[in-house]
Amino acid sequence: MELQTYLNNMMDPAGLPFYPIIFQVLLVLTFALHITMINLVLGSTVVAIWELGRKNPYGLRLAKALGRVITVGLSIAIVLGVAPLLFVQVIYDPYWYTANTMSAFWAMLFLLVVTLAFYSAYGFYLGNRRAAMENASTRWAWVSLVMLLVAGLFIHMLSMEQLNAPLWKGWLVGPDGTVSVAGGEFHGVSLGRLLHFFIGSLAVTGVFLMLYHWYFRQRADYEQEYLVYVSKRGVSIAFWSLFPAIAAGFWWLGTVPQDFHFVANPFFVLGAIAGVCTTAYIGTSFNKPADRAIPAAIALFATIFVMCCAREGLRMDYAGLNGYSIFNYHVNPDWPSTILFFATFVAGLYVLCFPAVAAFKAGRVPKGQVVTLDPELGKKAVQVMVVWFGVVAALGLVISLKNGALF
Amino acid sequence: MYPFWEVPFFTSGIVIALIATFHILPCHLATGAFWFLVYVERKAVREGRRELMEFVKRYSMLILIFCFVIGSLSGVGIWFAATVASPRGISGLIHNYVWGWATEWVFFIIEIASIYVYYYTLGKIDDESHLKLGWLYAWAAWISMIIITGILAFMLSSGKWIETGGFFDGFFNQTYWPQLLTRTAFMFGIAGVYAVIVASRLENRKVAQELIRTASLWGIAGMAAGALFGAWYLFSMPAHAKELGLQDGLPYLKQMLWAAAACYAVVFAWFVVAGLIRPRLAGPVSGVLVLFILFLGIGAGEGFREGVRRPYIIDQYMYSNQLIARDLPAKGVVADIDKYQEAGFWNKLYFRPEKVDLSTKMGRMQAGRLIALYQCGNCHALDRFGKMRPLPVLLQNIAPESPEDIEGFMDAVGDYPFMPPFAGNDEDKAAIAEYLFSIIRR
Repeated sequence: MELQTYLNNMMDPAGLPFYPIIFQVLLVLTFALHITMINLVLGSTVVAIWELGRKNPYGLRLAKALGRVITVGLSIAIVLGVAPLLFVQVIYDPYWYTANTMSAFWAMLFLLVVTLAFYSAYGFYLGNRRAAMENASTRWAWVSLVMLLVAGLFIHMLSMEQLNAPLWKGWLVGPDGTVSVAGGEFHGVSLGRLLHFFIGSLAVTGVFLMLYHWYFRQRADYEQEYLVYVSKRGVSIAFWSLFPAIAAGFWWLGTVPQDFHFVANPFFVLGAIAGVCTTAYIGTSFNKPADRAIPAAIALFATIFVMCCAREGLRMDYAGLNGYSIFNYHVNPDWPSTILFFATFVAGLYVLCFPAVAAFKAGRVPKGQVVTLDPELGKKAVQVMVVWFGVVAALGLVISLKNGALF
Repeated sequence: MYPFWEVPFFTSGIVIALIATFHILPCHLATGAFWFLVYVERKAVREGRRELMEFVKRYSMLILIFCFVIGSLSGVGIWFAATVASPRGISGLIHNYVWGWATEWVFFIIEIASIYVYYYTLGKIDDESHLKLGWLYAWAAWISMIIITGILAFMLSSGKWIETGGFFDGFFNQTYWPQLLTRTAFMFGIAGVYAVIVASRLENRKVAQELIRTASLWGIAGMAAGALFGAWYLFSMPAHAKELGLQDGLPYLKQMLWAAAACYAVVFAWFVVAGLIRPRLAGPVSGVLVLFILFLGIGAGEGFREGVRRPYIIDQYMYSNQLIARDLPAKGVVADIDKYQEAGFWNKLYFRPEKVDLSTKMGRMQAGRLIALYQCGNCHALDRFGKMRPLPVLLQNIAPESPEDIEGFMDAVGDYPFMPPFAGNDEDKAAIAEYLFSIIRR
């Protein structure tokens, strides 16, 4: 059997409940959010270790603050990661499932590694929350960092295996005719691609530190010197890490097949321009990092997003080599469930305004001060939830009665 | 077919079962706990009883660290485990319910945003707004249960979906409502156990006693309502599931059901005794012990649910060995079984050696093992000393005298109400028979 036949046979026979382009857009968008948060967690862990090692009071304070960022960020990153994990299975199912089953052992180990990373991060955060300089420890942060890097390596490997479909059979079927069913395959690591992501984490954290100063500068109980220290560290980390990140990106680019003409890919070109502009902008922000934090954050996220689009374009190029296209998927549009998702998505964005405003305002007042929020904001957010439930429950009862499924 | 992942002795199904059982504890805690938490916080705010806030802080911290580490990771873990153990099964679900999962994801985001803001703004925003954050989390978490229950129920009873292919026709099926209400009730029981443990650690003993009592009442109500709705759930199961689980189709399923009921009864009794009669017995030690019993009960209950579904992984549609059981014209799906019986299974495998001569014993053995893995390996261990429904032992019970006897058995295997038919032609059958005959424990 040819690879192309295999891939097309393995596309789910039920087809897609909506048009593939929609899933692709959602895949890229949610992946960009997920990877940004993962970058923040990874970079913050490195910076926290570094700052604790500097043995100065501001460094200690910053490391403690980053301890909280790491734990919260990892939670958010995992939840954000559910969406791209879902959408990739919808449109690239033959690739995703083949890579995962042939490397099942590593996929399972990934879960254990992330759990260890998570609890180690909590160990670092809770263990140092009230620690003085002399007894602050980086031990758990190191464990967490190693686990995060290993987890990143595993997911990277699973992604790279998907790009190497023509090699699958050779990996699994030995020359003596034995077929591997141990789930232990581990192939395709691309150091350039991996480093591009790892080093890029520092840039994200650097910009985050600029935002930190911008956000807390209204707090009367925060020393301005400390905030200046943080944002200066941030702008410096962001600027100087972007160069090796870009260099690693070009190393990765050098491993991409020439036939793809990837350097001419519009998303790649746009991403490269955005990357250079962002670096230049951050480079001019050394004197006023807090003032430049918001535009820098927007520019960096825009760069990440466009690079995620380019990454998706690259995946399509690799898939095209095997005669696979997501646009060949047959579609059985299911409008009711599509409407359910998009209506919930819009309502969810509205609901999220409430915790976002609460967090934003609560964090900006000095300790001990209580913020009073507009009561309508919380009330309406909860009402949206109740209305969602009411509508779905009513719909469910009607359908259940119609189908004779209730009694 | 996708590459096969063999877990020696236990089968990959056990990996999913373990992760899924472990997931239930944090996820049902996450869905149930905030209703109790908001109840306590509301009491603290409305009655001016600030001493209750210590419990609110500790309980929300537990939910944060336990649910959002173990809960979210084990949730993702089920997906990964299902991916590697039953890729076509999870693909079948995802391609029908992607928008359901995506909708649930929106509520996950609301959950995580609201719980962190709730925890970190305790005492920093006005009481009413803080309470609203609690409500927001409680609703979001419960709605995520409302959604996932539809997909779980669909796997047991696919309803009208099998005719229409419609999302909601499969979602709101005959076991949906009773299962949702059963899970909703038990989530209060699970939340009650954790609340008792946390309350028992409070320094203010008067508050501790009061909260232990209140949490126990919630737990008692939850367990009792869960039992009632559970009975409705059992009654609503499809006929073939009842035959397997409640009659004598598969006797061990009935034992699992009794084991689950016994575990829940112990938890109920603990709430009554330690919560109401002798509060001194309510503490971390007895609480953790009860959690372990609850874990066993959940394992047995979920095992029962998975067991009565047999031979399907998706009711009527896909067998537990990931082969499509019947046509689904509404979506243009053609069944696998007839296809493989005509064209052969071995011939259609991509991940197989090209040069295998099925006319030789060696060739048949080689092909037979792979065919056996695909057709049987999701549920049966092939190892001689396998622990999970080991074929070497099961086949010993029917005492075949030659591979031909097993071929005959393969022809009839689909007649068992809990087994899929053999999907292959005569060559496949000869190969699998040769292999299975060789592994019988003698």
